[in-house]
Amino acid sequence: MKFDMDYIAHHNELTETNPYFKLFLTIILLIVTLALDNLYFDVLIFVVMSIVILAIARISIWSYLKFLTIPVAFLVITCLFLMFFFGKGEVIFEIGFFGIVVTADSFHYAVYTFFRVMGCFPCLGFLALTTPIAKILHCLATLKVPKIMIEIGLLMYNAIFIFLNEIDTMQKAQDTRLGYHSYWSSFKSLGALTSTIFLRSLDKSETLQFALDSRGYTGELPLYEPKREE
Amino acid sequence: MLEVKNIKYSYNKDYQALKGVSLKVERGQMVALLGKNGAGKSTLFLHLNGIYEPDEGQVFIDGEELKYDKKSLLKFRQKVGIVFQNPDDQIFAPTVEEDVAFGPLNLGLSMEEVQQRVTDALERVGMSGFEKTAPHHLSGGQKKRVAIAGILAMKPEIMVLDEPTAGLDPQGVVNLSTLLNELNEEGITIIISTHEVDLVPNYADKVFVLVDGILIGEGTPKEIFAQPEILEQANLKVPIVTELFQQLEAEQGFDMQGDYPLTIDEAKDKFLEILNK
Repeated sequence: MKFDMDYIAHHNELTETNPYFKLFLTIILLIVTLALDNLYFDVLIFVVMSIVILAIARISIWSYLKFLTIPVAFLVITCLFLMFFFGKGEVIFEIGFFGIVVTADSFHYAVYTFFRVMGCFPCLGFLALTTPIAKILHCLATLKVPKIMIEIGLLMYNAIFIFLNEIDTMQKAQDTRLGYHSYWSSFKSLGALTSTIFLRSLDKSETLQFALDSRGYTGELPLYEPKREE
Repeated sequence: MLEVKNIKYSYNKDYQALKGVSLKVERGQMVALLGKNGAGKSTLFLHLNGIYEPDEGQVFIDGEELKYDKKSLLKFRQKVGIVFQNPDDQIFAPTVEEDVAFGPLNLGLSMEEVQQRVTDALERVGMSGFEKTAPHHLSGGQKKRVAIAGILAMKPEIMVLDEPTAGLDPQGVVNLSTLLNELNEEGITIIISTHEVDLVPNYADKVFVLVDGILIGEGTPKEIFAQPEILEQANLKVPIVTELFQQLEAEQGFDMQGDYPLTIDEAKDKFLEILNK
């Protein structure tokens, strides 16, 4: 794992900033961006929040770009689909086969969706990259978000790191024995990896349950309030 | 203090992991449970605080039989703390302090009391200053310490550690045994499963040897390591120091009079004794 989002969240200039402020700012900006549905505003938000992330939180541009790549890939695919397969009305571009066309309507859709989502990414990124998850969960708990959701979030968060590690180790072990040498072997190795991870996750969840029970787990995760620092 | 009476446990019809184990640990002792991989050590440990319920037999703590209803379990789990072999299985909270606080909070203590216990426990294991750290950013040795702190914060009378030295570097092993010795001197009864025979004579008052779900030997380290047939059955060896003296006797003809040192300190004395003859 070269890109460790959690490490970044713990080590940036805004880590210690009030998490409520960050959480509310993010939510308000998201709502405004979605509600206004204005191309200029989307671009403005994108630029401003990117500057905040890069210049104020001092997160390296490479980490930031990596954070953007995966969702942007999804976004591009989604928008292409929107452009070619949706909408009615005036045809502005014809591909020439299967009768696939771009209409004015679908073009408008795709462009607006693209910019709206692009405006929202840095808002979410601002929260995700500058705030450790523990603080976010604390905020949500004090804001009376149902406990069950917070507990699930907490345990998932814990599980993600264990599994990323596990996958990383297993993948290296397979790679060592040339498991990813050819296309065919890559498919086979990936299949084996997936099924093993599934079995291992069952095993791990049982052990975690034993460990929690050993410390008097009652089915509810208690909330700890750290001592105030003087 | 802790007594296990004729415990039997099967995972399924074909495989009986424990075939009638009985043992007794006195208050303030530090005990080692030796046995090869798959001998049933971890299974036995999970019986000590009622995670597993035996098919047959009983567990007694302070002369009181372990019951499996919710209220008694909470009481016994406070008394008997288990440190799991892999700290990743045990540490689940996003920060170190929250993880250490988990046990005490489950006991229903006040927040001030819990905060005090967290601070004390982290200081005790030498992890003060890591309160806000995310556990997955710690090294293996540090995680182990946090896992121990999580148990210490519950103020157990008995602490059970499943292969605590597995995966630690040599310095980490030394630090850990120092810590465990100190905790033992402060009055906590400690049970350790291990196959690191070199260290056992340094700390253990008593040794149990478990093979295929049956206890085949118990006694002081001196007694156990003087019985080659037990060691062989359990896939164990004598400590490396002892091996040296056995070879000196077998090959060089020094007469050890049946007394083989187990630790470096004993070896030093023995050497001086031989040289001064």
